[in-house]
Amino acid sequence: MNWILLTPELTVLLAAALFLVLACLKPDPRRDYQLAVTMAAFAVAAATACATMSGDLFNHVYRVDLFSQVFKALLAIGFFLVIFLCDDFQGVAPSHHGEGYFLLAVCTLSMMMLASAVHLLAIVLALELSSYSLYILVFLRQEHRWGMITGLRYFLVGASASAIMLFGLAIIYGVTGAVHIDMLIQQLPAMMGHPMAVTGLLLTLAGFFFKLAVFPFHFWAPEAYQGAPNQVAAFIAAVSKVAAVAILLRMISMAQGNSDQLARGLIAMAVISMTVGNLAAIAQRDFKRLMAFSSVAHAGYLLLGMLCMTPAGYGAAMFYGAAVLIMKYTCFMVMTRVADDGRNLQIDELAGLHRRSPLLALALMMALFSLAGIPPTIGFVGKLMIFVAAMQKGYLVLVLVAMANVVVSLYYYLLVLKAAYLDEPAQVLPSISLTMPARLVAVAMIALIVGLGFYPTTLLDLVQAAVLRLP
Amino acid sequence: MAYQLADFPFLTTLLLCCIAGLLAILATPAKHTQAIKIVSAVFSGLTLVISIYLFIAYDQQAGGYQFVERVAWIPALGIAYFNGVDGFALPMLLLTGIVFFTAVLTCWEMELRVKEFFALVFLLVTGVFGLFMSLDLFFIFVWFDVSLFPMYLLIAIWGSTRKEYGAMKLTLYLLAGSALILPAIVYLVVHSGAMTFDLLVLMEGDRFTPAQQRIAFFLLYIGFGILAGVFPFHTWSPVGHVAAPTAVSMIHAGVLMKIGAFGILRVGIFLCPEGWQYWAPLMAVLATCGIVYGTFVGLNQTDLKYVIGYSSVAHMGIVGLGLSTMTIDGLNGAVFQMFAHGIMTALFFSSVGYIYDRTHTKAIAELGGLSRIMPRATTFFILAALTGIGVPCLASFWGELVVFMSCVRVYPVAGALAIGALAVGALFMLRVVQKTCYGPPLKKFAGLKDITAALAVPRIILASVIVLLGLFPGLLFDMINTATMQLIGLR
Repeated sequence: MNWILLTPELTVLLAAALFLVLACLKPDPRRDYQLAVTMAAFAVAAATACATMSGDLFNHVYRVDLFSQVFKALLAIGFFLVIFLCDDFQGVAPSHHGEGYFLLAVCTLSMMMLASAVHLLAIVLALELSSYSLYILVFLRQEHRWGMITGLRYFLVGASASAIMLFGLAIIYGVTGAVHIDMLIQQLPAMMGHPMAVTGLLLTLAGFFFKLAVFPFHFWAPEAYQGAPNQVAAFIAAVSKVAAVAILLRMISMAQGNSDQLARGLIAMAVISMTVGNLAAIAQRDFKRLMAFSSVAHAGYLLLGMLCMTPAGYGAAMFYGAAVLIMKYTCFMVMTRVADDGRNLQIDELAGLHRRSPLLALALMMALFSLAGIPPTIGFVGKLMIFVAAMQKGYLVLVLVAMANVVVSLYYYLLVLKAAYLDEPAQVLPSISLTMPARLVAVAMIALIVGLGFYPTTLLDLVQAAVLRLP
Repeated sequence: MAYQLADFPFLTTLLLCCIAGLLAILATPAKHTQAIKIVSAVFSGLTLVISIYLFIAYDQQAGGYQFVERVAWIPALGIAYFNGVDGFALPMLLLTGIVFFTAVLTCWEMELRVKEFFALVFLLVTGVFGLFMSLDLFFIFVWFDVSLFPMYLLIAIWGSTRKEYGAMKLTLYLLAGSALILPAIVYLVVHSGAMTFDLLVLMEGDRFTPAQQRIAFFLLYIGFGILAGVFPFHTWSPVGHVAAPTAVSMIHAGVLMKIGAFGILRVGIFLCPEGWQYWAPLMAVLATCGIVYGTFVGLNQTDLKYVIGYSSVAHMGIVGLGLSTMTIDGLNGAVFQMFAHGIMTALFFSSVGYIYDRTHTKAIAELGGLSRIMPRATTFFILAALTGIGVPCLASFWGELVVFMSCVRVYPVAGALAIGALAVGALFMLRVVQKTCYGPPLKKFAGLKDITAALAVPRIILASVIVLLGLFPGLLFDMINTATMQLIGLR
């Protein structure tokens, strides 16, 4: 057994163990933070170093290939970025910082496993592990009023989704008698005309749709985002979506594109997700709730790429997953910096941001334009690729619907932008001081958004090579 | 299609001038407003010089695409950084250079958030230049959006009269247009069987069936048409023009609306000639509606900027009418009119902006006798109004004449209606001039200063271009004709 293949996971596991020890010691926020950032940086290094490895582990339950490794690298980067944002982990009591880091690490670890798991039981295990750590993370919110209610709701919806997924898995097993993805890949395509197989697959996907916040499994999102500490909300919005994309790609690609029924089901979900997410977002006044509904809409766009069931579509969805990570993280970074006491930020409170911190205002503007799919940003390239893939399958109307949604979404993004650039705060607020590393990360995010928008070739080639590993 | 790569990347240099200007502005501390203005003037002047050089250096005998630059950009999707200019693009580049430079000079007195203002204007113009020179659909779309999104902030921060409403309306309308353009472009690329965004490759042979061309052309026509102020999608335009600050109105009406018409031509007509044929009657009808509607609604306005805004709708209708005739004259006239209207409307907004800055009113009823108080400023205003009417020996006359001549042949009814509407509009415009400029001078405006020599420079440039083209329309027609002949000859 080749343990080197597991380096990223082991690094994160080590980090988790270390954080667990920290949680038992006397809390010292400064030391905890520095250690956490260091470990997260190691995780990024390990994940990128192992990006080209491949092999099978644990009796073929666990597959390491370019597909999984690229996702792991993205997850590790997201993990690092979120940990980096925790420099004044407001919203979580200082005595719980250690637990916070521990749970973030465990969640990242389980999502890495999700990217590699090719056995249904392993998938379920990894998924549950990541879900449970997120439930507790939401509970960590210092103001109990938020943490308790929303954490509980999040948990209940999540548990129901898990139950539905298990039911679906049982049906799939009943129809095919297989629990390994390789076996399913051989058996499922022939059975995709069978209503039971389609039902089973759709129900199974429900568990992952919950993660991605696809309609009708999105109801937890606004409340969980609102109730969670800001950094945790960033983690849910940016990082956990990457894992959801990974596993959805694995599952949907099993059908190998020869199921109209599955495609039809996914089309309906994609269209409703986009529309519901965008329309609901218009009415939001709370920044995190707005982001939550925009996540629902983006889940729709992601699904649009996946439901093409072609390598181009999978590549587009993977690229867009990376784009979502960057764009959403940037938005949450700005929000966390502005709401420096860990409160929930109303959109009006962004007023005067262009004067308080021109850099953050610029970062927010680029991230919003990227979310709205305006070139030259990474979000635009992602949408373009998704549309190209969808058009190749002949979904002209679907693309037009998606574009109509983009216009709707632009409205509320512009309102946020207006608050940041036009509105003046009621009283004069002090400028926001950022540490040098924080500035660097903000600049790096802007550079990534614009740079990958102008020159996406490297990343494109990478994702296209990665999805070739899918059947 | 054969083309020769340029020895020196003039077009990229042009873009880099804009970007360098943008960076220089960003590097200048915000409190040195004068320095920022000088930097802006220098870099915009450079773009003007380069665009004049390109216009002169273009070999009209050889025709085709010149100054071509091509670098593979995203090979996986068949996207290249591919620039080249022909007889359609060069007048537009020149127009952009002139309007950009004069707009920067026009807002020399501006004080509010100067750094951000000029940075956004440079960003906008980068997109405009990029679009006019690009021969790759991906980049055409990218530049299209780059030139649109600064508009929101430009209007919402520096504008007047319901600025937030105007800015939001404008942005949503224009991006709704881009929401049609992108699917159309992707549709064409995917169905070309070549997986390339290269405009010239896509033009070769019969890549698209008539049905595909109809779908794509319709989407492109409406998508770009929104920006070109095509009736009934024009309603953002007067509102946006009125709300925008002077320099932005100039760039917007002068250059940005031309992007719409240019897009219809460059992407729609170039790639989907059969779609063009199929939809031409619709284009003619909508263009005529725009002319008649723009003129008559303009009659009813009490705000000077609204008057110009609606006259823009009417004048862009003439461009649309020219494009719909599918004749050489029609195309020549349409592109000429794009240029002439750009200069004319820039002068219009520029002079109205001056009057507004001094009198603080745009209401026609509150103005009067201005020609006694500020004779130089009103001269420019009157010249712009006369150009707008289409007085011979001024630039617009030739564009309108050629368009109407070909239109009367192809669509007699539409042509007659349009000409009739314009005649009525002319009467009305003269009445506006009479009300604001003549009559007894009002006491409340008595102390106002006339335009100074420095502030007159941009207006003089615009006015001389109008007169020059009015006297020698061949300067422009010969250039446009090289591209038109090639386009029609090809088909």
